[in-house]
Amino acid sequence: MTTRWLTGILLLMLALLSGCAGLAPAPEQPVSDNSAVLTLVSAARADIADGKSDAAVASLERALRIEPRNPALWQELAKLRLQQGQYQQAEGLAARSNGWAGNNKSLRAENWRIIGQARLKHGDYPGAQAAFDKAAELAN
Amino acid sequence: MDSPFIKKFREFAARKRLRLFLLLLALLLSGYTLYLDLTVRAQFEGKRWSLPARVYARPLELYPGMKLRPEQLTTELAMLDYRDAGEPQDPGSYRRQNDEFTIMTRPFVFWDGAQPALQLRADFDGNHLRSLSDIKNDKSVTLARLDPVLIGGIYPAHNEDRVLVRLNEIPHDLINGLIAVEDRKFYSHHGIDPRGIARALVTTLRGGGVQGGSTLTQQLVKNFFLTPERTLRRKFTEMIMALLLEMHYSKGEILEAYANEIYLGQDGNRAIHGFGLASHFYFDKPLSRLDLPQAALLVALVRGPSYYDPRHHPERALARRNLVLQEMRDQQYVTQAQYAAARSTPLGVVEKAPEGTSLYPAFVELVHRQLRRDYHEEDLRSEGLKIFTTLDPEVQLAAEHALTTRLTQLEKARRLPPHSLEGAIVVTNTQSGEVQALVGGRDTRYEGFNRALDAQRPVGSLIKPAIYLTALERPDSYTLATLLDDSPLVWHVQGANDWEPRNYDKTFHGQVPLRTALANSYNVSTARLGLSLGVQNVIDNVHRLGVDSDLTPYASSLLGADSLSPMEVTQMYETLASGGFHVPLRAIREVLTAEGQPLQHFPLSVQQVVEPAPAYLVTSALQDVVREGTARGLDKYFSEDLHIAGKTGTTNDLRDSWFAGYTGDRLGVVWVGRDDNQPTNMTGASGAMTVWGAMMARLDPEPLVPPEPENIEQVSIDPATGLRADENCPGAVVLPFIRGSAPTETAPCAAPSPARSIKSWFQRLLE
Repeated sequence: MTTRWLTGILLLMLALLSGCAGLAPAPEQPVSDNSAVLTLVSAARADIADGKSDAAVASLERALRIEPRNPALWQELAKLRLQQGQYQQAEGLAARSNGWAGNNKSLRAENWRIIGQARLKHGDYPGAQAAFDKAAELAN
Repeated sequence: MDSPFIKKFREFAARKRLRLFLLLLALLLSGYTLYLDLTVRAQFEGKRWSLPARVYARPLELYPGMKLRPEQLTTELAMLDYRDAGEPQDPGSYRRQNDEFTIMTRPFVFWDGAQPALQLRADFDGNHLRSLSDIKNDKSVTLARLDPVLIGGIYPAHNEDRVLVRLNEIPHDLINGLIAVEDRKFYSHHGIDPRGIARALVTTLRGGGVQGGSTLTQQLVKNFFLTPERTLRRKFTEMIMALLLEMHYSKGEILEAYANEIYLGQDGNRAIHGFGLASHFYFDKPLSRLDLPQAALLVALVRGPSYYDPRHHPERALARRNLVLQEMRDQQYVTQAQYAAARSTPLGVVEKAPEGTSLYPAFVELVHRQLRRDYHEEDLRSEGLKIFTTLDPEVQLAAEHALTTRLTQLEKARRLPPHSLEGAIVVTNTQSGEVQALVGGRDTRYEGFNRALDAQRPVGSLIKPAIYLTALERPDSYTLATLLDDSPLVWHVQGANDWEPRNYDKTFHGQVPLRTALANSYNVSTARLGLSLGVQNVIDNVHRLGVDSDLTPYASSLLGADSLSPMEVTQMYETLASGGFHVPLRAIREVLTAEGQPLQHFPLSVQQVVEPAPAYLVTSALQDVVREGTARGLDKYFSEDLHIAGKTGTTNDLRDSWFAGYTGDRLGVVWVGRDDNQPTNMTGASGAMTVWGAMMARLDPEPLVPPEPENIEQVSIDPATGLRADENCPGAVVLPFIRGSAPTETAPCAAPSPARSIKSWFQRLLE
């Protein structure tokens, strides 16, 4: 029993490592072709860099009001929530992003990584494993 | 004969007595003064510094490319009291030339910082804002906001009927007018104006009655003590108190207290105190939005609110207002041109005093309730918080208009007594859960019973999507094409009467496809479906969809015997409209302190509670309701390409008429019924749905095209058998299925492709 758990945790560590590797250099496609949305997203990123995450959330929500069906915006907010330690919100927002992502596999893979990490943080190991598997499946 | 010594002693004693007397007098006087000081300060402090929370609508965002009709912008500017000016120079003015707007925005402190006054040019191209630029530096603007409409306040309980204002919210014209007419030396005297008093004294001594000569400070004191007593002693007390007030407080503080205290009119047995309330009472708008002639009229009223009452004595009021304007010009507070223009303006008083000071009391009540979860009531009523809400005035107006006009039309068409019908509406954004409009009854300014929040009514068929969701979450057993049994049903319950649900058309329909049973809202097949799924499972799903109220675990719950408020129904449908996400309905975005510091942000929150695929199937079935079912009457209002999803609800004896529906951008729930719970003679389709249609038609809805989940496939089906069809099958429909759940067997009408028929032959063999 214990060994099974240990293997599981090892597996997860691996998945996590691969997940992390995938998170950092996400290919930078413009989030939107709407300049108002772009302005708000860069304001949000600046706020995150300044540690003003509440302001960043408000800016991203403002952007979402303009483009509620933009999966990249939902993902941006999901990442921020993950960073803030709001794991349940991060998971919900990433799932929302998935809904609008259509055939954008890299975006969906990224969402599953966010979901995986969020589940990992609140102790849902099998759920995390399933999410990382999905991410890997989409990345191939 | 007294000796000189005794004489001297007597003189000394007399002097001493005099001094003693004087001393006593002084003591008495200072004691009295101290008493007056305490009294007047208690009055002053008690009425000060209790600032209500201000509630604002959402600000209108402007950015190039946005969908916005020029008329929408004009409406928004009108609600904000922007002046239509030939040459917009001052903040709060604009000019429209066909499709080009020039707007001088007002500076405003938003949650994320201040936006200074901007001089914007906005060009329209049909229904879109083509370009937006800053005229001053000739640069294009990517994003700007107009200041938000002030929609109400949360007032101190003991002073419910007052609209307290801060000095900086009082228009300069009003202050200047007051000083020009009532107290020219206000900024230089110490509470009393000796020359004025001398003049008044002379008049009084000549027997002309006690009058005039009061400074603003004295008038304020007089207003603290509401008895109309007019004696010299009272006058003397007022003078002392005025002097004392000036010792303790600044001119600004005194002016602010005056502005909130002065008596300005009577509404039945309710006294109108303060310029803030008077502004609503006479002009139905906030004080900060008054223009010069309106400010001058309020100044005119100070001298005699009933004598110069603009509703009863418009000529007197007009003459007095023009006198105020004239004084302002003579003392050079306004130019000759301003004077001439203001003088020729009509009084502009609204005919009937509005019922309350909030434009949208039902929505403000929702805001208040959501705030109470996080704030002390006392702070809300006194700290001057700024509340930024989600209300969209355009949506709110469309909802109010649709409800009030349709109810009147329905009463006429159905020969119901006038004003017997009531209604409620909630409109939200399907993605964010923001409440954009809330109507609590047909008298939209009424601050009482809020039907959108508090009317608990049986929901009827509005509950059915929860049953169908429960079924469609079991793709092995149920699909949209599954045939349901709509033959007579008798449900035996021990210790209770048998339950025999009937269809609205009083017939039974045999075998019906699942989606058709929902589209036509068949009760019998739906009840049978619910019973086989288990009543408790269905109820659990109603809760999962976001309903908190308890539901009774009886079979009749399946047909909506339980009562819910329109708001709760909205929360339930929000989950369906958002594709399976629980999105708590929010009326507030941000809270700022009185000084403009961010205090709290109410974030968007989403949680997936239903898998995307079954949620997608339920929406697809609800689109069938509108395309070919009980809500097909909506084709009077909308083109088919909008693919609207909706559900009608009707209760026993036609007492309640419901409609819940969503487009690509908004969810709306409408209830129509009677407060005395008598029949309305309307179904959901003939009542509430027409209100919904009239409302949404004004809002230019987005088509509903939900994203197709990856495990959904589209399959052609023969409706009669529920089996696979091809082009040979007349009336075949393409339906979405969760992958693997579509029938494998081919309908008799379809040309048997060898491979498929062999496959199905094998399958039959195996089954």
